[in-house]
Amino acid sequence: MLKKTTIDKLPELAAALMEKGTLVAPIKEDAGFNFREITDAKQVDLIFHNTIISPKSAFFPQMEDFVRYQTGKSILEAAPVELNLKPTFLFGVRPCDVKSFQIMDIHFSGTGVVDPYWQKRREATTIFGFAFDMNEAADAAEFYHTLGIGAADPEGSDIFMVRKDDILMLKVITPKGEKLMAGLSFPTDASADEIKYFDDYIAKGHDYKTRYTCVDTEAIAREFESIFDNSDFWTKISDACLSCGVCTFVCPTCYCFDICDETLFSQGTRRRVWDACMFTDFTLEASGHNPRTKVYQRLRQKVCHKYSYHIRKYGVISCVGCGRCTRYCPVNIDIFSIVEEAVKAKWYKRL
Amino acid sequence: MVISFKQIEEKLKTEAKRLLGESQVSIVLAYGKGYDENHPMPYVARNPSDVDNIVFNEYCNYNLARYLVRYPAGTKIAVAVKAADSRAVIQLIQEEKVKREDLVLLGIPVYGMKNPKTHEIIDGKTTGGLYNPVLYDILLGDEVHGQAIQSPYDVLAAYESMDKEARFAFWKKEFDKCIRCYACRKACPMCYCDPCFIDQTKPKWGDKSPQSHGNLMYHLTRFHHLAGRCIDCGECSRACPVDIPLYLFHKKVAKACEEMFGQAAGMSIEDKPALVNFRVDDSDKFLE
Amino acid sequence: MSFEPKILGIACNWCTYTGADLAGTTRLQYPQNLRVVRVMCSSRINPSFIFRAFQLGADGVLVGGCHPGDCHYNTGNLYARRRLAVTKKILEFSGLESGRFRVEWISASEGNKFAEVVTEFTEQIKKLGPQIKFKISQ
Ligand code: SF4
Ligand code: SF4
Ligand code: SF4
Ligand code: SF4
Ligand code: FES
Repeated sequence: MLKKTTIDKLPELAAALMEKGTLVAPIKEDAGFNFREITDAKQVDLIFHNTIISPKSAFFPQMEDFVRYQTGKSILEAAPVELNLKPTFLFGVRPCDVKSFQIMDIHFSGTGVVDPYWQKRREATTIFGFAFDMNEAADAAEFYHTLGIGAADPEGSDIFMVRKDDILMLKVITPKGEKLMAGLSFPTDASADEIKYFDDYIAKGHDYKTRYTCVDTEAIAREFESIFDNSDFWTKISDACLSCGVCTFVCPTCYCFDICDETLFSQGTRRRVWDACMFTDFTLEASGHNPRTKVYQRLRQKVCHKYSYHIRKYGVISCVGCGRCTRYCPVNIDIFSIVEEAVKAKWYKRL
Repeated sequence: MVISFKQIEEKLKTEAKRLLGESQVSIVLAYGKGYDENHPMPYVARNPSDVDNIVFNEYCNYNLARYLVRYPAGTKIAVAVKAADSRAVIQLIQEEKVKREDLVLLGIPVYGMKNPKTHEIIDGKTTGGLYNPVLYDILLGDEVHGQAIQSPYDVLAAYESMDKEARFAFWKKEFDKCIRCYACRKACPMCYCDPCFIDQTKPKWGDKSPQSHGNLMYHLTRFHHLAGRCIDCGECSRACPVDIPLYLFHKKVAKACEEMFGQAAGMSIEDKPALVNFRVDDSDKFLE
Repeated sequence: MSFEPKILGIACNWCTYTGADLAGTTRLQYPQNLRVVRVMCSSRINPSFIFRAFQLGADGVLVGGCHPGDCHYNTGNLYARRRLAVTKKILEFSGLESGRFRVEWISASEGNKFAEVVTEFTEQIKKLGPQIKFKISQ
């Protein structure tokens, strides 16, 4: 079932969704776009390439409160923070980011240990995927195609959207999406021509190249294992790295967090906040010992986690090629160039 | 006069090759190729053969003085410095983090540097009003003369015209955007502390979560730590993924310090940093 | 109800704190709004103390040290003068009312001056009203 509406009707669609629950969609901010909870239907803006912070924050916010407590009182009086979620609509997510949710699911529910916060947010949310605009050139930083993700890949979305000039086409992908669409009165049925355009567009997405040809995951994992101890290699790779938190914070598949008790006077909250393996104190132990004191050790962890350990443990690369880390790195460290460097022209061909 | 970036690049390569070849230095901190033309990277040349990877263009904003403290004391280093970067080196010498005799400064006289995101020329924001390095051993090109010099404080006009309510609202809005990635402190040549105050837990100066109050504490204290030391390279603001204009606050503090203490940061290796110094006749008016 | 401000005083052990003692023993009257913390020297004051005090709800902060030249450690207050001048500027640039932070040199024999400064500062803070800009709301 392919439906359509026009871009100028977007506020109406947004308003209809806001009536049904919480709408999270890209809006334009000073530095670029970000997903935010929408309070004014006119804020939703689909003329964007991709957001600064990935949409992982819809399921795994930078700060999540767990328990509120009072110091000096019994732990029995501490109150867990309940998540009371309205149905949520995550609107306008690029295919590579949609893919990231499946990778994150491995950690937050897939291994059998379920993170209730992630899980509840996931269940409450309907995802509106949104194809990249293939008329514009791919951003130099991104490489999702290299990792087998099409620029118009509907996989993982509940409803998938393609924009053709001022028409927005919406296709139902899952039963969850179907149920939602059935309750929306105004997107109209698309014409036969539009259906063809949509299907062609999805197919074309797999030919929309971003930087390199495809990769063999096993080979990459092997190469990284073989150079783990090559500190000259890693030192060179990390010569420019500042060891900041940009790359991990903007990344859709970085999931590390720290649990902290933040107390003011006697009122406290135990909450989790994002942490990053690139921070100096990430591995600092209570004894004062820090097993990763050098920048190269931290950058090696970041790259190998995604391109080696993760492949060995779960069979997939923990990276979707969205290009955010490269785009926002203050010194332009490009994760895929590191992969290239590591595997030295054995299996890839530069486009 | 037009800056020839290509010419600077050639000279940088020649000097780097010579210094490494003659073993005068063990590393050269320069600029190298990134994933495309607009995105060069800081680059460390260790062998004469590395020198071919060196580039220089209008996007080479990075302040390479940032990397000096990373190498063990006594390492002989040649470092490419633009005007503001040379001030960072001077400031680091004042603070005894590096020694003058361990360094070979490859000075780059240049203007017209650009922001790779917006392609706008950022001289007014970052050069501290200078186009020629303050200190150098070898100059890679001719000194810039005749080019209109903007005062480093010109960009403050709009901010200075705000009253205190507007100022508070302005910074609240900006600090609330902060995601606490700490790229600002990590890009800053003067932020070399380990641990940084904000990472300390005993005492804990500010919460780790990115809320208004922790953000305020982090930024105000960082501005304070940079008072009299910030050399106006603008790296903190350029590194920020959410474009918080930290440079405005740093410049405002720098201007106040210059007015009060009669000295700008990083202008002479004979100076002492303003806040680890005093004059008996400093005025009590500072406190009014 | 009239507004009774909370004022943090940070006083050096050798001069201002002793001056405050003197004000007490000579039974000088001054407002009760000041809570004094004693430090060994005005140069021991980390500027973050002041930011933090405002965050935790202080309506004003008063720092007291020996007169320049009289510091027990010779030069402590000369460093502090520069440092606290910067603190004052930073508060002002961030948009906080600059009258909420004050530094005074008060010697051990100036019980009178201590009482006067506290009275005057308390009046000033009362006029400024509650400090809400930095205060952390829960
Ligand atoms: S790779 Fe870039 S973004 Fe990541 S820590 Fe290093 S400098 Fe920061
Ligand atoms: S505070 Fe910013 S402008 Fe100042 S030296 Fe540090 S990075 Fe440069
Ligand atoms: S903010 Fe202050 S403590 Fe932290 S690194 Fe910078 S100068 Fe050091
Ligand atoms: S770089 Fe920007 S977002 Fe990151 S900590 Fe600094 S001000 Fe905050
Ligand atoms: S001891 Fe009083 S100010 Fe130093």
